[in-house]
Amino acid sequence: MKKFLALMLALVMILALAACKNSGNESADPTEAAQPGDQTGELAGTYDIKVWVAEAAVDLTKKQIDKFNETNTDGIVINATIDAVSEADAGTNMITDVEAGGDLFCFAQDQFARLVKASALAKLGVSAAQAVTEANDPGVVAAATVGDELWAYPLTSDNGYFMYYDKSVIPESDIDSMEKLIADCEAANKYFAFEMNTSAWYLASFFFATGCKSEWTTDDEGGFESVNDTFDSPEGLIAVKGMKKLVDSPCHLSSSKASEFASGAAIVVTGTWDYETAKEALGDNMGVADLPSFEVDGTEYHLGSYNGCKLMGVKPQTDAKKGAALHKLAQYLTSEECQMERFNELAWGPSNKNAQASEAVQANPALAALIAQAPYSVPQGQIHGSWWDIAKVIADDVKAATDEAGLQAALDNYKAKIDGLFNMSDDEKNAWSVIGAICGTNWDTDFDMTETESGIFQSEPLELHAGEELKVRQGKSWDVSFGNGAENFVVEADGTYIVQFDSAAETVTLIAQ
Amino acid sequence: MRKYSDVEYLKLSKSKRFLYRFLSFFAGIPGAVWGFIKKIGLAVKGGVSAVGNEFKDVFTTFKNGDWKTRLSYLIMGFGCLARGQILRGLLFLLFEIVFIIYMVVAGAHWLSLLPTLGTKGPSVEYNAVYDQYVTTYNDNSFKILLYGVLTIFFIIAFIYTWRVNVKQNRIAEGILKSGKKLKSGRDDLRSLVDDNFHKTLLALPLTGIIIFTVLPIVFMILVAFTNYDGSHDGYYNNLFTWVGLDNFNTMLSWEAAGGGQSYAATFGEILSWTLIWAFFATFSNYFLGMLVAMMINKKGVYLKKVWRTILVMTIAIPQFISLLYVSKMFAKNGIVNGALLDLNLITKPLPFWEKAGWARVMVILINIWIGIPYLMLIATGILMNIPADLYESAKIDGASGWQQYRKITLPYMLFVTGPYLLTSFTSNMNNFNVIYLLTGGAPTNSAASTAAGSVGYTDLLITWLFKITTGPEAQYYMASVVGIMVFVVVAVISLIVYNLLPSVKNEEDFQ
Repeated sequence: MKKFLALMLALVMILALAACKNSGNESADPTEAAQPGDQTGELAGTYDIKVWVAEAAVDLTKKQIDKFNETNTDGIVINATIDAVSEADAGTNMITDVEAGGDLFCFAQDQFARLVKASALAKLGVSAAQAVTEANDPGVVAAATVGDELWAYPLTSDNGYFMYYDKSVIPESDIDSMEKLIADCEAANKYFAFEMNTSAWYLASFFFATGCKSEWTTDDEGGFESVNDTFDSPEGLIAVKGMKKLVDSPCHLSSSKASEFASGAAIVVTGTWDYETAKEALGDNMGVADLPSFEVDGTEYHLGSYNGCKLMGVKPQTDAKKGAALHKLAQYLTSEECQMERFNELAWGPSNKNAQASEAVQANPALAALIAQAPYSVPQGQIHGSWWDIAKVIADDVKAATDEAGLQAALDNYKAKIDGLFNMSDDEKNAWSVIGAICGTNWDTDFDMTETESGIFQSEPLELHAGEELKVRQGKSWDVSFGNGAENFVVEADGTYIVQFDSAAETVTLIAQ
Repeated sequence: MRKYSDVEYLKLSKSKRFLYRFLSFFAGIPGAVWGFIKKIGLAVKGGVSAVGNEFKDVFTTFKNGDWKTRLSYLIMGFGCLARGQILRGLLFLLFEIVFIIYMVVAGAHWLSLLPTLGTKGPSVEYNAVYDQYVTTYNDNSFKILLYGVLTIFFIIAFIYTWRVNVKQNRIAEGILKSGKKLKSGRDDLRSLVDDNFHKTLLALPLTGIIIFTVLPIVFMILVAFTNYDGSHDGYYNNLFTWVGLDNFNTMLSWEAAGGGQSYAATFGEILSWTLIWAFFATFSNYFLGMLVAMMINKKGVYLKKVWRTILVMTIAIPQFISLLYVSKMFAKNGIVNGALLDLNLITKPLPFWEKAGWARVMVILINIWIGIPYLMLIATGILMNIPADLYESAKIDGASGWQQYRKITLPYMLFVTGPYLLTSFTSNMNNFNVIYLLTGGAPTNSAASTAAGSVGYTDLLITWLFKITTGPEAQYYMASVVGIMVFVVVAVISLIVYNLLPSVKNEEDFQ
């Protein structure tokens, strides 16, 4: 019977092919005259949507959507199915299957660039973008921006980490020094839980302490163009020396769960989301503080941290009207009102400027620790999705290292992987190319050059017009580039030319064909 | 090398016999390889001539056939209809009509896009009326590949049916010429529950296998020749397209990839650990399971059922629970380290999952714990089956316990469970559960980890495949390549081992 059913299904599938062939897309006429930002379309109607939020927020989100249905003035009625999908998994789930993904979904900031790249996010309209930029903390707005445009709604601004500790084990006088904390834990046979081997997000703390940077730049589509990464540097070496002190200690535990307090931990480095768990495990013995400092060669370095946020995204829609309704809902769900509700019920730190300023938020102990940690924290920009896997390996390598050369090797290995991300071999890095507003391109396409004799590079024949500007650059980056000196080279007359570059004289010439 | 006769061989000393066998094994390799190549050559030749015969048959049928037959080449089933076999004729005709309609309506469309896998990706436009960015989706590479393959299957089915149709005409002509009557539709239907009953029974399973097993496998294999990954998902961001053998070249190249070591080196490392793991996991379970069964079976052991029940408990608990629990037990702050610390047996926690060597030994040991009960159950039954008089006569001859085991128990066990050993070896090579739930591949192998995903020292090929698919770049094409490689490795090992099995080589030994 099953087989029969299967056969029938297969037949139906075959017959349905005709229907699949051209699934039509209806969209309102874009030529209709309207100022950007003025939304003139009628939105009234019922919309069936799917929402992904963290498990803890399911009930609250349900209430908030009901309230939106009652209060909105556009006549929008949202009929939402709410699924519990953790903010850590939402990005991967969306990318794996956009079609089955939530129309609205909440995700942690680290997945943002990947989601943009995978076209799983819809850009905000002009008015929505304006409203979000005005209402939220600028760091969070930057976190939701790729290129010059906003792609998501800030939901919280509390994705940072600090330290929970057991006051019965750790004396308050020791909380500023990592060495003393380690000694206290070793003496008491307790664990110091600081996630290292499995999470680059926490591991970066040591590098930020010594002033290392890992800043990435993206293009408008979320693709990564370059990175300014100084983990492999003298400062980085100091950082891994500090890290070695921790990972070599028998009391170090690579975990970031407050539940470890129940299995022998005295210190757990985690964030606001674990406040309730820690409170439950430790009761009045719970202490909350910013991260400690470590000491290398007589200098103290205060551990840094990432300061990130959670975002709410809207899945790209083929129907403009439904898209507009979804964006209205997302805007409401991330408004000051809803963020305060979330703070009151779930203790999620708001990203809205007014909500952040409220007394209740200022008085929360976990958020207070986050604020104390803030001077040492680094805003989490867009980070390449592979970085997390590449960087977390440092901890294993550091642990395995036996001397300074081993520590340096850990950093070299990291550096090689980071460079490898942009897939450039040495040949590619040294190759020269022509770029400019030429041949219908606008400074976005490289024309390859070949070395005809030593130090002389030539392009293919190109059709150039008078007044067009161009430059010759190395490794498809702007670190080394030449035109007319440092200025752009300007073409004087129409014609077909070979662009020639003399790397010894650093001059660009045109050879007419 | 000269081949010794049996008598000569028996005259040799023990060490010389071994040397002789060792040398003759290597001397035999070229011959075996040549034999294999010849076999392939013969198979190809056979295949070519079979196809040639089909074409010849089609041609001669046309030449010698009457006008009804000839018209059937164009209008399927015409010959049957004209000769009064209405049911057959209608079925052929119906199939042809369905095929033509399908090809016109959809098939041709998918087939025409198959070489490029689509040309027009999605686009986003600003809609001023709603102040919205609206996406328009166009070609879908995934569907093009899927339906393209489906269409090719359909075409093959059509060609086959057309061939059957031609053959039917020839046979019908022959029957009429010899003065006999053709089968009517009623006869055909009756034969479906009579002499053609196997066809009736197999029709649905076969269709099911083609659609739900063969088609997906072909599809997945084809993915290895595309650039289908997270940033080329074929519909929502970028289309994917054919890249030929590029992915295989990457997998087998010794050039460093993404700042780490080359794919070939990583593949080699993981493959060798996979084989080591499969070997130990299979044989440790096999021999220890047998040992446990023999111990419990021994005369004079009390509470046999209790021991068996205790061991079988591990089967009763789902691996998802037991393995995850055991993994936590051996964690740095787990119960095992805690107990050892409290008893002052150790001064710092043991690195069960943190060092490559420890983790590898641990997974093998834990696998023994969950694997022994299965083997014990199988062995118990087989051991009880060995005729007791064999042991009795051995005892009278003065054989020791070890000799009895080597000469009676082990050969008997190997004969019966040889195929089981082989299947458990291959399934251990693909033992995703144990590795993924216990270690998740940890500890990380920093040289082998690349942008495609991290690789650990306990990763098997199958968990590596999983990590590639779910990694930050979601390289489905690379996962497909790994899948194909796993298949090749498993197939080669299975074929070689299968032919060496006593149950295959000496079929009559224990009958």
